[in-house]
Amino acid sequence: MTSPINTLWERAGQAVKPRPAGHAVKPRSGAAAARRPPAVLRGSSWLPWMFLAPALLFAAVFKFIPMVEGIRMSLYKVQPFLGNEWVGLQNYATVLTDQRFLDALGHTLVLGVGQTVGALVVGFGLALLLEGQARSLWVLRTAVFLPVVTAVAVIGEVWRILYFPTDAGFVNQILATFGLGPFSFLSSPDSALGSVMAVGIWSGAPYDMVIILAGLAGIDRTLYEAAAVDGVNRRQRLRHIVLPGLRPALTVVLTLAAIRGLRIFTEVYVLTGGGPAGSTEVWMTRVYSLGFERNDLGVASAASMLLLFVTALLTIAVRLITRRREA
Amino acid sequence: MGLTMRISSAKRAAAALSAMALVGSLSACGGDDGKSSDSSKPLEVWSRSAPDPAKTYEAILAAFTQKTGIKVDYQGVIEFDTQLQARASSKDLPDVWINDAGLLGSYQSQGYVTKVEKGDIAGSDQITDETWAQNQGLDGATYGVPFSRQSFATVVRSDWRKKLGLPVPKTWDELAALANAFATKDPDGNGKADTYGMVVPGSSKRGYIGWWASSYIWQAGGDIVEKSGDTKYKSVINSPQTKTALEWVRKQFCTPGNVVPGSLNLTTSDTPFFGEGTAGIYLTGPYTFSGYDKAPGKDKYEVIPMPKGPVGTTTLAEGENIYFGAGSDKTAEQKALAEFLISPDAQKIGMAPDGAAQPVVRLPVNKTLDAGAVRNDPRWKLVQDEYTANSKAFVWSINFQPIRQALGEGINKMMSSCSSDLDAGLKSLDQAINAELKSQDLAE
Amino acid sequence: MSNPTKSKPARLNIPSTRFDTALGWSPRFGASTVLRIALCAVVLFIFAAPFLTIISGAFNETTDSTQLSLYPSDPTLLGFRIASEKGIWSYFLNSLVIVGGGLLLQVALSVLAAYALSRQRFRGQLVVLLLFLLTMMLPEEVIAIPLSQVIADLPILGISLKGSVLGVILPVAIWGFSILVMSEFMKEIPREIEEAARIDGVGEIRMLWTIVLPLCKPVLGVITIFGFMMIWNQYLLPLIAANDPSDYTLTVALAFLRTDADVGPGVLLAGALIALLPSLIVYLLMQKSMIRGITSGAMKG
Repeated sequence: MTSPINTLWERAGQAVKPRPAGHAVKPRSGAAAARRPPAVLRGSSWLPWMFLAPALLFAAVFKFIPMVEGIRMSLYKVQPFLGNEWVGLQNYATVLTDQRFLDALGHTLVLGVGQTVGALVVGFGLALLLEGQARSLWVLRTAVFLPVVTAVAVIGEVWRILYFPTDAGFVNQILATFGLGPFSFLSSPDSALGSVMAVGIWSGAPYDMVIILAGLAGIDRTLYEAAAVDGVNRRQRLRHIVLPGLRPALTVVLTLAAIRGLRIFTEVYVLTGGGPAGSTEVWMTRVYSLGFERNDLGVASAASMLLLFVTALLTIAVRLITRRREA
Repeated sequence: MGLTMRISSAKRAAAALSAMALVGSLSACGGDDGKSSDSSKPLEVWSRSAPDPAKTYEAILAAFTQKTGIKVDYQGVIEFDTQLQARASSKDLPDVWINDAGLLGSYQSQGYVTKVEKGDIAGSDQITDETWAQNQGLDGATYGVPFSRQSFATVVRSDWRKKLGLPVPKTWDELAALANAFATKDPDGNGKADTYGMVVPGSSKRGYIGWWASSYIWQAGGDIVEKSGDTKYKSVINSPQTKTALEWVRKQFCTPGNVVPGSLNLTTSDTPFFGEGTAGIYLTGPYTFSGYDKAPGKDKYEVIPMPKGPVGTTTLAEGENIYFGAGSDKTAEQKALAEFLISPDAQKIGMAPDGAAQPVVRLPVNKTLDAGAVRNDPRWKLVQDEYTANSKAFVWSINFQPIRQALGEGINKMMSSCSSDLDAGLKSLDQAINAELKSQDLAE
Repeated sequence: MSNPTKSKPARLNIPSTRFDTALGWSPRFGASTVLRIALCAVVLFIFAAPFLTIISGAFNETTDSTQLSLYPSDPTLLGFRIASEKGIWSYFLNSLVIVGGGLLLQVALSVLAAYALSRQRFRGQLVVLLLFLLTMMLPEEVIAIPLSQVIADLPILGISLKGSVLGVILPVAIWGFSILVMSEFMKEIPREIEEAARIDGVGEIRMLWTIVLPLCKPVLGVITIFGFMMIWNQYLLPLIAANDPSDYTLTVALAFLRTDADVGPGVLLAGALIALLPSLIVYLLMQKSMIRGITSGAMKG
């Protein structure tokens, strides 16, 4: 006779394993089939489109129409009043041959990867630490969420004070207790990028924490009990129950990272504006300098299209990677 | 599902999307047929103003309507550039707008503004010829009516200076010494080393450090761009004089305390230090006086004459112009508004001398008015005198913003290290400015 | 963490056990609890201590932008008073109206779309998801001008949304983030539950409303709080859609308050504090849905 625990494990194997969408289910036979709703209403090809229609309609009007216009603008020298001049791929050439732009690409990658990994790891740790029903945890989770709700301009002000480059600066004072000398942080081209990355991780970790907490809430508690009875230790439980159970949460975080990682802008702009000496220049700050601040919408659109293209590729890659593991 | 169903549902989705895109682009293209000549529509006037200064404009325009009977539809716009571009795209520019004089070249090259016939404007002789000359476009025609002007002034914490027993600085060296004293000699007497010398907007964002340092470059005898033909320009930034200026600036950044630490990343909105009482010297515009009168307080600070550099005391001049929107059919009304705005009455309302409203005219362009007299404030007379005697503006007839951006980026880089190679930095800055001029078809 | 039976929120009657959390924190007081308290203190310091600067700056007579201040030395409400004089509360109201309408519409659209993407079978699912994700990939400044033309002249209907709250509510209703998150989590619901319901003849709409959604409470909480913040923090869109400064939202108002030469950093911090409170309150309320609750029973169904 199979023990109740083993049955639970079997169910665990089924419950935790995510089903790929679009997976066909064999039709039932007999009496069950007779009670099914008529074929027209059941799983027929137009029903999903009815559910998708509102979202697609809004997307078309408020996102895709402007986007198409954006693509058009990238091929022209945009002169709103005098009439646009066709320049073909020249805007793209301007962007790709700008030396500072190419430098910005490197910084964007470093920041993107660093912030994504950092925020994910710290966010995961925060979620594990602060999970639970106690009221004190509730308060803690709210306090930890403050970096996310505060306006970026204010975060910039606060961190500029924290990062004050003399030994009177707050972070320098704390580091001094560990015997580490005063750092220039944002004032030196060597340390500015790392300092910006730290702020990005600080404000991104609580964001990921919330998503991971939602994922943790969805894990069946009976699995923990069953695992404990079977003598599974904490590390194995994390690996075999928690991490697989977090698949949707992790997929979301990684997809978002792919989409937003290259677009990092506001924090950098507020903290350093791309300096000093261009050491924190990223893709979007360059788009600002090359495009918007020169009223050259054509170049700005071209740079943004390039960004869109790379982001789309990255997102497809992330979706494919997270899909294949589901088999 | 069968092959046919797969294709048809994908096709359906694509068809729906492209139909929407097609309809959308058609209606967006068709759009407005532009301005309809409807004389009952009021004159549309814009200014780049937050709600408080906008009220001052409303007062001026109300007086205009009362005097001439012309109705005005006024808006104080914040995201001015984006909104103006949006209007330009639909070929529906405002009839008149008031904005930074430095944008004249940009507006002219994009075709946004129409020529101004100086002779046609009544009262145009009340504005000096030099002021009119600033508003010329590349072709020599005038493209904007002057509305307000200003030049930069040095404000100093007089209570600190007096406490330390130091005189008003008259040269660069004395200025630097004063800054250092403010940083090292505890002028606020609280026993803590929490005060600094100069406030500097040192960021490369929007070219801020270039904007601030330009006065000092000119005071050393250097310059940024120069005319090299009828409508051509070239960069002259790489000169020994500019190097002298930048060496002095870098020395300030590298002497601890002379400049507020961390300034390389700051723009003017991130530098409240003078008002807060953490720094004692600031090269800034006169629009800050009303704020500083409250904090740190009118009796605690002074406006000093510009300390002399190696060659002179030149300071950066800026201003606002009245621009006539292209494509407008209200040319008579445009002219009438401009005539009113440069008249002494309107200029006085704009200066808001009683302090109740926020001023939108700093130094009046109308030469019959004296800023110090109208405001009953000798500090304003100082600013006006320095503006008339020794001020210099950026080249307004070209799109100067990208050059200011390049200047800011170059100087920011040179200031980021105390051992930077100024010769190499100036050389690459020179190349960057020439490249920008070339892309604007202004190079020889 | 003291004895959980005394500290748990009143509404949840499930006794706290070792199996409530992934790491298995023990509800009894012991060595691991001490470690947890220590870690929580460090975390609290790192993430929340910088806010003491904001709070002390907002309530202080003067500010010092070169030093961290942890408490106001001259406590005053002056900053808030000046902010009120500048009309901050009417902008606050505008923001509330826009967020209220926008969030409702956004959640509705996202739930419907996510349901189709995750629970229904049709060809082209990856493409549709990518289309929704594509809407997040272009910076909004680039599409600002074409978008303003669309708002001023809606395709087919030809009406203008400028000056109306709909000018902001309608464009924000479509957000790829909500659709992505909802669809990922909806995929997790076991097929047996759905099949059991289908045997009973439950149609799609009822399936969504009575069975799938109740199981998605944590995710609904997530998209509510993030959707709230996304709409609350909108800057360019309210600027484009406004016809008059009185249409502006709080975020826009605080941005131009920054350019006001007479306004000091204290007033800006007071404004920032007012601006972040609603998001924090929504987060507090949504946390309830994200805590493991009675919903655990349904999984075994």
